[in-house]
Amino acid sequence: TPCRATPSIPSRSRPARLPANVLEEARTRLHVSSVPESLPCREQEFQDIYSFVESKIVDGTGGCMYISGVPGTGKTATVHEVMRCLQHAADVDEIPPFHFIEINGMKMTDPHQAYVQVLQKLTGQKSTADHAAALLEKRFSNPAPRKETTVLLVDELDLLWTRKQNVMYNLFDWPTRRHARLVVLTIANTMDLPERIMINRVASRLGLTRMSFQPYSFKQLQQIIMSRLNKVKAFEEDALQLVSRKVAALSGDARRCLDICRRATEICEHSSADSHSTGLVGMSHVMEALNEMFSSAYITAIKCASVQEQLFLRAVIAEFRRLGLEEATFQQVFVQHQALCRVEGLQPASVSEGLAVCQRLGACRLLLLEPSRLGVLQRVRLNVSQDDVLYALKAD
Amino acid sequence: MSKRKSKDAHLPVGECITQLQEILRKRLCHQQLPDRPEGVEAQHKHLLELLKRTAVHGESNSVLIVGPRGAGKTMLLKCVLRDLLEETEAQTNLLQVHLNGLLQTNDRIALQEITRQLHLENVVGDKVFGSFAENLAFLLEALKKGDRSSSRPVLFVLDEFDLFAHHKNQTLLYNLLDVSQSAQAPIAVVGTTCRLDVLELLEKRVKSRFSHRQIHLLNNPTFTQYLERVQTQLSLSDDFPDNKFSRDWNASIETLCEDKSVAEVLQRHFNSSKDFRSMHMLLMLCLSRVSAAKPAIRPADLLEASKMCFADAKANMLHGLSILELCLIIAMKHLNDVYEGEPFNLQMVHNEFKKFLQRKSNSMYNFEQPVIMKAFEHLQQLEMIRPVDSSVVKTQREYRLMRLMLDHSQVMEALQKYPQCPTDVKQWAMSAFG
Repeated sequence: TPCRATPSIPSRSRPARLPANVLEEARTRLHVSSVPESLPCREQEFQDIYSFVESKIVDGTGGCMYISGVPGTGKTATVHEVMRCLQHAADVDEIPPFHFIEINGMKMTDPHQAYVQVLQKLTGQKSTADHAAALLEKRFSNPAPRKETTVLLVDELDLLWTRKQNVMYNLFDWPTRRHARLVVLTIANTMDLPERIMINRVASRLGLTRMSFQPYSFKQLQQIIMSRLNKVKAFEEDALQLVSRKVAALSGDARRCLDICRRATEICEHSSADSHSTGLVGMSHVMEALNEMFSSAYITAIKCASVQEQLFLRAVIAEFRRLGLEEATFQQVFVQHQALCRVEGLQPASVSEGLAVCQRLGACRLLLLEPSRLGVLQRVRLNVSQDDVLYALKAD
Repeated sequence: MSKRKSKDAHLPVGECITQLQEILRKRLCHQQLPDRPEGVEAQHKHLLELLKRTAVHGESNSVLIVGPRGAGKTMLLKCVLRDLLEETEAQTNLLQVHLNGLLQTNDRIALQEITRQLHLENVVGDKVFGSFAENLAFLLEALKKGDRSSSRPVLFVLDEFDLFAHHKNQTLLYNLLDVSQSAQAPIAVVGTTCRLDVLELLEKRVKSRFSHRQIHLLNNPTFTQYLERVQTQLSLSDDFPDNKFSRDWNASIETLCEDKSVAEVLQRHFNSSKDFRSMHMLLMLCLSRVSAAKPAIRPADLLEASKMCFADAKANMLHGLSILELCLIIAMKHLNDVYEGEPFNLQMVHNEFKKFLQRKSNSMYNFEQPVIMKAFEHLQQLEMIRPVDSSVVKTQREYRLMRLMLDHSQVMEALQKYPQCPTDVKQWAMSAFG
């Protein structure tokens, strides 16, 4: 294998087309990947992290910080922005120069790979995990002249959990060494992660410098979209408000918000071709996008099911009512199924056919089934609420 | 073999039938792509636009195609890819990576496959070098280096998407979706799955990175559309070499579809399942009965084929049992009736059987215990009965608790059709309680 290969995706033969109209321009800006230079609505968090890291760099000491928050609340983006600003400050000699490296728990195959990646990003050396751990240990515990501060960002911290927790222990122990000059910023989703999964000596080394990112409120989401669009006039005011209110009510995830807006621009583009529209994304488009992304397909799936499948679902509900339980064997349901067939004037299905119908419903998870080799003895449960099934079967 | 006349435009019947079989087999078994997808125009347009934007503008996207088995998910995707690749701009740029959850059962294999299909630099010939961790780092590095406007867009197709969600930590999905949400090489992730609850399988952070675009394929044809589909599937097109034969064939298909009994059979299939794959199965069975001597599908063929499709497997197995085994099954049925589905063991079954023998004057079926045991074990091998707990050696064979895996209707149906079933056995089976 070539040891110093430069991996790359081949480049395209002709450059990508640029956005041609307002909607396409808006779509490009609304893509999650186009992170703006300054993140709106996270000024306080930015300030806190900035001053924490800056003080550590100026003092030449080390420390840890734990950042938590649900996905899509701007944790990683904020930290990256802080680092950009600090780098700029270091470039103009306001603060001493430092080294920024980043690892992500999800982007490794094994927690011990963290050592390998840190070492490679620090020195460019390739080695095994054990050797890398030893080298890093040496580097952080011995004094060296003119050592720069290292800022290490550890994303998805919970993935670095091992049974002995030695990876986490080392990551949090190095900053406490006198000569390490290491600042570790850790990011994870849950607020109580240190108390929940870490043993005492690891949690105590992580310390109490914590910060949690709250989910975005609807006003913040609205502001985020506005700042992304940056005077490109593609949305009606009300439409934006609807999106942000809906998303804020459900999760407060900015990614979701942007995705819905992007989908709405597509729907608008399709509908503008044939009807009289203003060219702006309106309420109706946003409603459609919201329905597409938030509605569950169970009810439509039941409505589209074949006659026997619908009968089987009805038989399941009838049997549940008879038993007063939420679980029945296929044999019990099948008796009801045959009775229903006779009521409907259909030819009663054979057991094999009934099993096939049952399996089909199980494959798309309308039913939850035991393994099919149990045959007629397998137990059947509904994966949807009974009301949903009844509603879907009734509403014709 | 009939001799070919050089001046005659008509081919001999045998030749025609061979060609017909070839064309229709390709259509029914090889899942030949239709020229235009039927009934899914909106979904087709949505997906085509999306992939086109990835190929042409370099926009990263992710989408899931969800629908029950046989609803045409792969067909839709293949149609879209075919239409997409007609454009030169997409054709020259787009790189494709196809993965299947059944083949790539863990991330290590999936990663090797991706590297191989992308022809990254650590691939020599067909071999991928480096450890799992190195491969992942290498791939991520490669994708990170690219950017929206200059590097070629990559299309990742993940068949059986739900199986990828069972991989450890969902590392592969996280990384693919993360690339699609960040300013790296433009990629489109397309997953196909039949599970409606697929989003609940994803971890929170993976779910947040997925764009929540779902294309639902729920085909909902009316019965008339179903009939039309049968007709179009069987009809020959104009470019068939022998015009007269194809005209005759198409006419015969038309009369077939207008037949009352045929419509009844098709209605029953339609009631049972709306997917086209089971219909293709039925048509295939009909088609296999067409020969040079009988160059058309008759309604009777369809009835036969349908009977074959709807045959009950367990009832068929009961036909092949010996009288003793059948008697044991009847005894089990009576036990089930009396004790309301409680499990039984061999002793109980044997007692029940003995009770039947005592009431009868001639004891023709008075077998020894070992013979009965042998029959009982044969039934267990056929999985007509099944032990309650799966522990193997704890209890003796005679006292292991068993359950009957048959429905009573199956037992009764099999008795009716059993060749030369003794009358007293039949009467015993019919009697309410033993």
